[in-house]
Amino acid sequence: MSDTHFNVIVLGTGLTESIAAAALSKAGFKVAHLDQNPYYGGDEASLTLDELIQWVDSNTTNEAHGKSAFHAQTAKFTSISHSGDLLPNSRQYSISLWPSIIPSTGPLISSLIGSGVSRYGGYKLLERIAVFSSGQVRNVPGSKEDVFKNKDLSLLEKRRLMRFLMFASGEFEGKPELEGNESSPFSEFLRAKFSLKDDVVEAVTYALAFCTSSADPTLPALHRIRRYLVSSGRYGASPFLIGQYGGAGEIAQGFCRASAVHGGVYILGRKIAAVSDSSDSSENPRLSVELEDLEDKLTCDLLVLSPNYVPSNLRSAAVTVSSDSERVNDDSPASVARCIAIFDGPIILPYSPAQPPAAAGEATEGDAASTESESHSKVDTAVLVFPPGSIEGGNATVAATVLLTGEGTMSSPTGKCIAYISIPALASDTSAETLLQPYLRATLASITQPGPQSVPLFSLFYLHHPPASPTSSSPPKLLVTPNASNLLPESMDSATKNAEAVFWEALKVLQSDGQEGGKAESFWPPLETQDEDEEGW
Amino acid sequence: MAESGSGTADKSVQVKLVLLGEAAVGKSSIVLRFVSNEFQANKEPTIGAAFLTQKCRLEDRVLRYEIWDTAGQERFHSLAPMYYRNAQAAVVVYDVTKASSLEKAKSWVKELQRQANPNIVIALAGNKLDLVQPSASSSGATSTPESEDEADDATATPGEAAAAGDQPESLRQVPRDEAEAYAKEAGLLFFETSAKTGDGVVEIFTEIAKKIPIEHILASSRGTGRPGAAGRTGGAQEGGVNLEENAAKSKDACNC
Ligand SMILES: Nc1nc2c(ncn2[C@@H]2O[C@H](COP(=O)(O)OP(=O)(O)OP(=O)(O)O)[C@@H](O)[C@H]2O)c(=O)[nH]1
Ligand SMILES: [Mg+2]
Repeated sequence: MSDTHFNVIVLGTGLTESIAAAALSKAGFKVAHLDQNPYYGGDEASLTLDELIQWVDSNTTNEAHGKSAFHAQTAKFTSISHSGDLLPNSRQYSISLWPSIIPSTGPLISSLIGSGVSRYGGYKLLERIAVFSSGQVRNVPGSKEDVFKNKDLSLLEKRRLMRFLMFASGEFEGKPELEGNESSPFSEFLRAKFSLKDDVVEAVTYALAFCTSSADPTLPALHRIRRYLVSSGRYGASPFLIGQYGGAGEIAQGFCRASAVHGGVYILGRKIAAVSDSSDSSENPRLSVELEDLEDKLTCDLLVLSPNYVPSNLRSAAVTVSSDSERVNDDSPASVARCIAIFDGPIILPYSPAQPPAAAGEATEGDAASTESESHSKVDTAVLVFPPGSIEGGNATVAATVLLTGEGTMSSPTGKCIAYISIPALASDTSAETLLQPYLRATLASITQPGPQSVPLFSLFYLHHPPASPTSSSPPKLLVTPNASNLLPESMDSATKNAEAVFWEALKVLQSDGQEGGKAESFWPPLETQDEDEEGW
Repeated sequence: MAESGSGTADKSVQVKLVLLGEAAVGKSSIVLRFVSNEFQANKEPTIGAAFLTQKCRLEDRVLRYEIWDTAGQERFHSLAPMYYRNAQAAVVVYDVTKASSLEKAKSWVKELQRQANPNIVIALAGNKLDLVQPSASSSGATSTPESEDEADDATATPGEAAAAGDQPESLRQVPRDEAEAYAKEAGLLFFETSAKTGDGVVEIFTEIAKKIPIEHILASSRGTGRPGAAGRTGGAQEGGVNLEENAAKSKDACNC
């Protein structure tokens, strides 16, 4: 094969594309992986603060789009507003455009371990999940131990909640409680079948199952809860992990590194001038990609691309791969309103007797030295959920989630913390700031010490409209990666599932071409002993 | 149960380190010397990048270097930024027998100072010192590809050491003073090394270890166990996790 011919060219370095690129490289295919941005991760990137401000500028002016080979997009990011200037140590931030938490068991963790990429990064347990209810931040009783030690619940309530947790962690399929209620609203199901009272229903619905509205159906919610319950205990009490150095963007880079180790060629920050199909000649190579400032065209047998990179001239040859029945071919994927705010730590939450486990033994020393009351403790990572209607000026029908990360996640300088707020947005929502400002205020007021800390040092609001996914019935030449879920604990797992589906689909196409070189029996072949790896793992 | 996440973790501190430099200056050879105490006379160019780890003891603490060895010949210059981005240390390598490689090293240093974490510890290493040393212990000057390396005595040809009789200093294109002065001015650690004889190689890593702000990393790296709530005011202490632990399924497939 020549220098410029590849089995697969992957366009976009988002998480899904990066996982797929790593798997294809590892399977022995020659892969080129391109991104027009000068950074990795695409819309899921983790950026330094100065990069984030550049990102704001280029998305506000829109002139960066220029002449491009790609489908004339309706603006992907709208209603962008920010306040606060470049802060000191801006390069010590790694700010995620796609905040996520990772269930300890699931596709992403399996892929991280199976590919060896887990060794490249760092992970932390999520310390706390809390819910905002009746004007207060409360701990979510997410495990039997939590329920046991919870002081807000009466004995009867504890018993009922325990019964539900037993139910949800077991084989609920076919149980009488569930029969006929699979798609009825989950919150009603909890009330009717387990007699849970309102605030417990709220906590379970939004902070255990991560439903976005009270209408969310029962069965998927139960599936999620079971996965999370099963996840806890694998690495610690918390079912969730947080990726250090900025989460999704850093993990995407980890997969790109794995791809590079297996020969993947990387080209970033160059405009793609044209993508064309030369398969009429019925000869390989079938597709070619022209880059600005590069004389030679790159050619390939198959293009795998993010929906951001569907070329307008080849839209009819592009097909979106679907990984499961949950999210197929969404023509108008859901928009999300997001806020990113930087503030002075620490993050203070009501003290939980059950979490974090370490606090039980050693918290007293720390507390003695500090002024905080016994009822509160400092944490480095937490999720705070606002159920619908929980704050004045907030949304009455959908829940907002807030991911809070401190310096221990290696994504902000000493003493600085980041809050990521997300809420589903409707077409009628035109201002991200109006939508989210009340949540930001309520968050900072309840998790920081009163005073200047409750004013953010920097805040950014925007609406994100994921691009529509093309469909085509003709034999695919361009495989488009589907949009992933935006639920905080589901997003990266769904990207991983999508990547695996893309991988198998790509394999089908490449093998029907009789391509030499690549083959695969599993998504991640067993890690062989690499001589460059020393002992000590 | 609560211990499972961090209880078995060792007390070492992870340090992410990246090697940069022109093609064929000996980056991979330096890592190979550091990690396995070996040398290969004709090491192939690195493709993309390689990942290695090595522990390094420093007084009472153990550092675990997570090393990314990059390819000097990467055509599109797109990979290196990903590797130095979150690195705590960088080793920029040039070849003392090749003046242009110092220029390339300087441009890497500039890029690091502009783009990498401002606290990054940078070391400049002038490699292939053996080629310019008259010392009898360094075997042969201009290495024919087949020339022996010290670990490979079976294939050593006795006659080859005679080559050391030439004036090896004449091969030197980068005077030590000049490079050292530059390093000082730019705030870099400086070494002259030979991956072939091992001269100066371990020193790079121990000197870097001394300069790394370990307390800062200790607070949050995954192997820190549990310093406890009293450890830091920011509450950044808890919960570092090694994903391979408890991953029962992967135990047998683990590549280590
Ligand atoms: N004599 C001598 N030869 C060396 C030394 N270090 C490396 N070499 C040789 O120089 C050649 C290149 O070494 P590598 O370690 O592959 O260089 P590199 O910097 O990793 O090169 P790329 O991976 O292409 O960027 C090999 O043939 C090595 O054996 C040294 O200290 N002395
Ligand atoms: Mg090399």
